[in-house]
Amino acid sequence: MKKWLGLFLALGLIVGLMAACGPNEESSGNGGDSGESSGEGDSQSTEGEGSSEEQPKPDKLIVWEDQDKGEALEAAAKKFTDETGIEIEYVEYNITKMQENMALDGSTEKAPDVVTMSHDGVGPSVAKGYIKPIEVSDDVLNKYTQSSVDALTYQDKLYGLPKAVETTVFIYNKDKMEEPPESMDEMYEMSKTAKEEGNYGFLATWDNFYFSHGIFHGFGANVFGESPSEIGLNSEAGVEAINYIDKWYEEGLFPEGLLSKNAASVVDRLFTDGDAIAVQNGPWAFQNYTDKGVNYGVAPMPDLPNGEPQGTFMGVKGWFVTSFSQQKGKDYWAEEFVKVVSNEENAKERYDMTGEIPPLKALVEDEEWVSNNPGAAAVMEQSKNAVAMPVIPEMAEVWDPMKTAVQSVATDKTDAQKALDDAVNVIKQQIEANY
Amino acid sequence: MKLEYEDNKEINTGYQSNHRKIAMFLSFIPGLGQMYNRQFIKGIGFLILAASFLTVFWDFLDIGIWGLFTLGTTLPRDNSIFLLVNGIISILLLFFAAIFVFIVLRDAYKNGQKRDLGHRLNSMREQYRNLIDNGFPYLILSPGFFLLVFVVITPIIFVFTIAFTNYDLFHQWPASLMDWVGFENFKKLFTLEMWRSTFFNVFAWTLVWTFGATTCQIALGVFLAVIVNQKELKGKAIIRTVFILPWAVPAFVSILIFSGMFNQDFGSINEILASTIGVEIPWMTEPFWSRLALIMIQTWLGFPFIFVMVTGVLQAIPEELYEAAVVDGASALQKFRNITFPLIMFSIAPILITQYTFNFNNFNVIFLFNGGGPPVSGQKAGGTDILISWIYNLTMTSQQYGIAAAITLIMSAFVIAVAVWQFRRTKSFQEEDMM
Amino acid sequence: MDIKTNKIVRLTLSYAVIAFMFVIILYPILWVFGASITPGSSMGSFSLLPEKTTWGHYAHIFNMEESNYLLWYWNTLKVCLITMAASVLVVSLMAYAFSRYRFWGRKNGLVIFLILQMIPNFAALIAIFVLARVTGLVDTHLGLILIYVGGAIPMNTWLMKGYLDSIPRELDESARMDGAGHLRIFWQIIMPLAKPMVAVVSVFTFIIPFTDFILAKVLLRTPEQYTLAVGLYQLIARDFGSEYTTFAAGSILIAIPIAILFLSFQKYFVSGLTAGGTKG
Repeated sequence: MKKWLGLFLALGLIVGLMAACGPNEESSGNGGDSGESSGEGDSQSTEGEGSSEEQPKPDKLIVWEDQDKGEALEAAAKKFTDETGIEIEYVEYNITKMQENMALDGSTEKAPDVVTMSHDGVGPSVAKGYIKPIEVSDDVLNKYTQSSVDALTYQDKLYGLPKAVETTVFIYNKDKMEEPPESMDEMYEMSKTAKEEGNYGFLATWDNFYFSHGIFHGFGANVFGESPSEIGLNSEAGVEAINYIDKWYEEGLFPEGLLSKNAASVVDRLFTDGDAIAVQNGPWAFQNYTDKGVNYGVAPMPDLPNGEPQGTFMGVKGWFVTSFSQQKGKDYWAEEFVKVVSNEENAKERYDMTGEIPPLKALVEDEEWVSNNPGAAAVMEQSKNAVAMPVIPEMAEVWDPMKTAVQSVATDKTDAQKALDDAVNVIKQQIEANY
Repeated sequence: MKLEYEDNKEINTGYQSNHRKIAMFLSFIPGLGQMYNRQFIKGIGFLILAASFLTVFWDFLDIGIWGLFTLGTTLPRDNSIFLLVNGIISILLLFFAAIFVFIVLRDAYKNGQKRDLGHRLNSMREQYRNLIDNGFPYLILSPGFFLLVFVVITPIIFVFTIAFTNYDLFHQWPASLMDWVGFENFKKLFTLEMWRSTFFNVFAWTLVWTFGATTCQIALGVFLAVIVNQKELKGKAIIRTVFILPWAVPAFVSILIFSGMFNQDFGSINEILASTIGVEIPWMTEPFWSRLALIMIQTWLGFPFIFVMVTGVLQAIPEELYEAAVVDGASALQKFRNITFPLIMFSIAPILITQYTFNFNNFNVIFLFNGGGPPVSGQKAGGTDILISWIYNLTMTSQQYGIAAAITLIMSAFVIAVAVWQFRRTKSFQEEDMM
Repeated sequence: MDIKTNKIVRLTLSYAVIAFMFVIILYPILWVFGASITPGSSMGSFSLLPEKTTWGHYAHIFNMEESNYLLWYWNTLKVCLITMAASVLVVSLMAYAFSRYRFWGRKNGLVIFLILQMIPNFAALIAIFVLARVTGLVDTHLGLILIYVGGAIPMNTWLMKGYLDSIPRELDESARMDGAGHLRIFWQIIMPLAKPMVAVVSVFTFIIPFTDFILAKVLLRTPEQYTLAVGLYQLIARDFGSEYTTFAAGSILIAIPIAILFLSFQKYFVSGLTAGGTKG
């Protein structure tokens, strides 16, 4: 055994010696260069506008697009390739999974150069160092609505250009309802009638805070106050809101089957099969409903019993330049592509193909376009009362506890005040622990 | 430590010289000692091996060990996670190198000893034969062994090291480096109220789940095997065929199907219950019912394997045993209790242990059935989350790698302790020497 | 109660139990089939025989233009077959060594690996991903196969060793007398005798890629590389527009070949597993 001991001592000595050395300046470490070794760790892009002659062109850019939206990207990509000679490779991922996938792919050669995300991903992505600020001239920025540009700005830096704006709206089956109701109370009565006939009236997945925020906000409960440590969801207003939500479940107007993993697809099915009169959903669902042949109308969300409009969450999807590639010039061209793909012409084409509504002033103020696109018009109308999702990374901690709160109240496990207190408690602890 | 065919007798007298010590000392540079013993070909072979190892891996080892200690110093060059993995691989390589050095030293010492005693050294040919004979088991074990080291052992070491770092949302490439933080994660887990209560709740349910589900599937499997094995029963072939089906259909398909069938309002289980006994059970929203459903599903999925094993055992039990019991006037139940059951248990006990551990880590059924839901107010994990699914959520969705790794470590320690204790008790592992 | 009525009662009860189990086993399976021929894409209450039936979902997944299903099938089969072949080879060799030779680490080596394997390797998901990333195996089937084979070794080696222990040693001894070498004994004496167990190990390792979806989901990054489990999961794990009926059709087409495989190997399971089990 003595021999072993000596051996390990020797080994320990070698290890100790090695720990003292490490990489010299020439050895390129392993900072996940996307395949091409830059050799220099500090090739940060020079801020400011280099002319395109100075910027070496990469062979291709990798773009991550939202699910089922690829066709709209292809058109814009073709123009970009024709103009610059840079190929665009794109992958479709579910937009809610972008963060997860960047965590995995960021350090590989499959790392994206440009991604699309909803603006609530900006805060976390900046914290993780996934995305870079971009430089855009004012005359480009002025083409977009101020609120959409603000949504993509974090810590006074602009991180992306708007791709689409969305908020949830009231979608109703015209064969079963001539005019959208004036108020939620009216809808409530209709739902009761429908239930007696064995059908459903209005359906929404209100255990998902993205959909129920409109209610909370309408009753006067806000997520964050001045700072992320002030959370107003368990205020009296919050309790009122959650009790209002509960009312729909109590009466059986919302089936408890909506409190499961696949609730969204259940709602979709009931609406497309004609078993439900109306649903709360976003513009992303229009295409599906059209394909299924539903004769639907779109309206802003009806007002709440207290006369207030519903302050639904507004999400701005944007195009962002990532910071994964160390290759010189790549980020410059990625930024160029972002400008091309989100410019007026391509944004309009995108709307025609996918129904994603670009927040372009020119469209919002174009009365003819608005009257021809009632779905888009309703979304715009609703946007006036909508609240942009908080951009801070802390927002990520809110969804799950709020889902828990609504579900526990709807299934009578806890009373409203306690459920909200619990949720806020969890949110606060999470924020303290992680931020 | 003892190799066969080796006479390890230390003889304290009769040394005529000090070759053994000199040879061993020289062998710290592999091969020199062998040359000193005038075994030139072997010596040169060792020397070449050692030299090539060092030239090939020197840089890698250098960076690896340095990275393991520092976890990187400059961004974006250093990616802490990769440095950690390289470090672990370096340590493994050094470990293999140490084994090689040990073999070389031992060889030099042995042959030196032979010279000291005035014995003839083996010729090349004899040595080659010896190597083939003694080395054969090592040769055929090596592919599997290397796979195990890299696929099973390395990831486990890696997770254990992560538990002592602050790897999370805010400490990852490219935004920042990570650091060693000692027992910080474990402290968090046991001092923060929310973490602690969640951990113990999840752990308790994990144990209940493991015992409940596994015991049910074993009981059902044994019970059915005994029933089907009755002599007078007709149609054994078709019955066995049907009973294997749940095992033959890929589990992820069955689970997803059950997930749909158990839906509260739209699933067929509740439809059947409502039309027969007039109750609807909240399978997806009440933790108790969710847990019950999961145990039933796992029983359905898991009994065929046991059924097949036990059927095999039953067919191997000699008929005379029962005949003797009948002569003694034993009832059917007594026969089962005193003959059948002990024999079954004796034969398949080791397999049963693996069944328990399988369910302890049965991620698929928990994740696919209800995603660990329903949510529980005031805690961070769902009502049916077991440790492994909770770890997955912490890793993939909230990126709290450090805490997740700490939980993994605690869990592994527990599993290993139980398994070691069990294996020591079962007969199958007390190997008798056979050669 | 005399013996005869006793027997009748016992058998009747047995048949009743078996009938009940038949319903419980077959209902979900028939339900999936019902779903797969129901028009539409939604999840809902399917009956075993829907009023309107359609074979459209099957047509859809066989259409290479519209769906990657056949590609996934091919990927899965490829991964399955290679995993099976590699596992059987590695496992047999290891079991042979453990059963017939004495070497350092033999007594505890297998048990240690068996215990280590109880720590599920996907708890180390990130670790596996990073390792694959360092070795350039992300998004390759090879990486997935290596993980599957590595994970399959301990349990199967142990089963196999139990079986080999039950093969009398006199056989190898006499062959050795006749001058057969190590490998020849293995190929010509041991392997043919261990056929039932080889069959069992083959089936066990063959179905790994069908059952795992989590490792594959993390390691495979592009839809063209997906295995069936990942691909089908993506069909229904979407926020909206889930395609339950297509999923059901796809599932049926997976279940049938595997069920046939299982049933044809049934007799080996019974003899192989227990011989391994009874003599550990």
